[in-house]
Amino acid sequence: MKTTVVGSYPKPKWLLKMIKLHRDDRIDDRVMDEAYKDAVKAVVKDHEIAGVDIIWDGEMRREEMTSYFAERIEGFVIYGEVRVWGNAYYPKPSIVGELRYRDELAVRDFLFLKSVTEKEIKVPITGAYTIVDWSFNEYYPTKEEAVYALAEVLNREFKELVKVGANYIQIDEPAIPTHPEEIEIAKNAVEIMVKGVKAYIGMHMCYGNYRAIFPDILDFKVDQFDFEFANRNFEDLEILREYDYDKDLGFGCIDVHSKRVETVEEVKRAIHMALEVVEPDQLYVDPDCGLKLLPRDVAFEKLRVMVKATNEVRSELGLE
Amino acid sequence: MRVISTVVGNYPRPEWFRDYLRKIEGLQKDLDVEVDRDVLKKAVSEVVNEQKRAGIELLTDGQLIWHDFLLTIASRLEGFEMNGLVRYFDNNLYYRIPIVKGKIKRTKRILYDFEIAFEIEKNVKPVLSCYTIAKLSKNEFYSKFDEFLWDLCDAIREEIEELEGMGVEFIQIDEPSLLYAEKDELKNLEDVFKELTSTKAKTVLMTYFDSAERIFPEVLDFGFDVIGLDFVEGYEENTRVLEEYSFERINVGLIDGRNTKMEDLNDLKRKFEEIVSRGEFKEVFISPNTGLEFLPRVKAFEKMRIVSKLKEVVS
Repeated sequence: MKTTVVGSYPKPKWLLKMIKLHRDDRIDDRVMDEAYKDAVKAVVKDHEIAGVDIIWDGEMRREEMTSYFAERIEGFVIYGEVRVWGNAYYPKPSIVGELRYRDELAVRDFLFLKSVTEKEIKVPITGAYTIVDWSFNEYYPTKEEAVYALAEVLNREFKELVKVGANYIQIDEPAIPTHPEEIEIAKNAVEIMVKGVKAYIGMHMCYGNYRAIFPDILDFKVDQFDFEFANRNFEDLEILREYDYDKDLGFGCIDVHSKRVETVEEVKRAIHMALEVVEPDQLYVDPDCGLKLLPRDVAFEKLRVMVKATNEVRSELGLE
Repeated sequence: MRVISTVVGNYPRPEWFRDYLRKIEGLQKDLDVEVDRDVLKKAVSEVVNEQKRAGIELLTDGQLIWHDFLLTIASRLEGFEMNGLVRYFDNNLYYRIPIVKGKIKRTKRILYDFEIAFEIEKNVKPVLSCYTIAKLSKNEFYSKFDEFLWDLCDAIREEIEELEGMGVEFIQIDEPSLLYAEKDELKNLEDVFKELTSTKAKTVLMTYFDSAERIFPEVLDFGFDVIGLDFVEGYEENTRVLEEYSFERINVGLIDGRNTKMEDLNDLKRKFEEIVSRGEFKEVFISPNTGLEFLPRVKAFEKMRIVSKLKEVVS
């Protein structure tokens, strides 16, 4: 039973200011790079104080989860932003040519993080299905072909990550539950992405209807699924029970949409519920999703409570 | 056969207006607070001019204050409350689900943005919706869906009367949900739509995201002057529809409003000629299949250019 995070963490306010200055050309790349590194160190420290077992760098350099990768892969261009809801927009990439590996996506971030912490590390990367679903396709005759082409690119990145010592990769695929009719494409894409990758593979999915993708996803070639449960009042644990779920479970038990910090007792109760479905060594306790939209002090408190609850359950079960 | 270039409705907001709204509303607007008239007028003129510059003949106001895609209407009516985010058809776009909490009543003008556009330019069509709003809302008040639909219809009807009074020539009613209505439901809907279309203004039914063969022949009795079909998502099915049924005015949604890929003009011309050869049309409107808000603004403009170029080569 380990504690972990999904990926993102609130950017320090000073970093947001630096990003703005950099965008306005008022500080150079070198200074900006130093700022990012300092921000990662600060985030790592927050995670270490909170006591999280497996960490990531809080995604300090990532603005959001589609275009960050698209900008680094041959074949994508970004013409501008489109609306996703209310007053929220994202730069939606267009596929305009053959998708090819151009530059590392997370290798440098991984190496830097490794140099500043003794903690175990997981590397989250948005999956091929989600990136394509959230992009325009001008080039490939079908969505399916685009997904598989991108899966090959990500496979190369995963192998590069393993080469430099990564052993835990998390594929973020929030778009899969929104298209249950394309589950077969998503499944094939996973096989391409993880082929020959000698690492522990998790898959994070939030939003959408999980029931619609069960039991199909149980055939996916991943070691772990990470779902949001807190935001849905833990009702979806029932689905896992129904289908004799036997993969490892990333157990989202902290609501990232609410600023209210959970109590230790609440989280403990949730963990016990999860332990009715999986064994302790299959359980990875984490928040529902990335924490980036929360105020930083709230995000930190939530992590602290999550770890404290996990520790108490561990000692109750004599797991220490 | 007269050919007219037009657009379906929504259009990407100018960047400064986007920033302005984010500043006054936050990420998600909670109450229906009207946007300052002068600011809105500036934004609407920009978008109206952009359409004219692209060569569009029948314009829209761009639906710039719509915080989601159809259901903004609900927030302007009494009886609705807005709730959590729900996916809008097969798009990576989300709307807040309107919950019916009380009797639906129209207490003020719904399309105050259209009113501004109409001051700037007379050749603009307002966009409304009725059945789709009812279908995508959650009814916690009425004991029967029909009662809810009729109250909503009355509210929209009042808006239409006012628009007619203003001297509006075309009124468009978007009904993507209609494409999924059951056959017996379609028969019942005839009265609702007849109510909405009994106006001196010309009414346009706009359907999109799917083919429309399931709503024929019933839809022919709804009283619309123009029927809009999506030939990007349903080229074959909708072409067959034209072979089987005849009507005089059609809106051909032929340019993909949901992909940045620019169509080949010759290919569009061939498709357009194929489509119109299937019927005896007096008037044909050419447009993208959907609103252009799915695209980055620079691409939305290019799509409108294609619409107007197509109009030129086929008329």
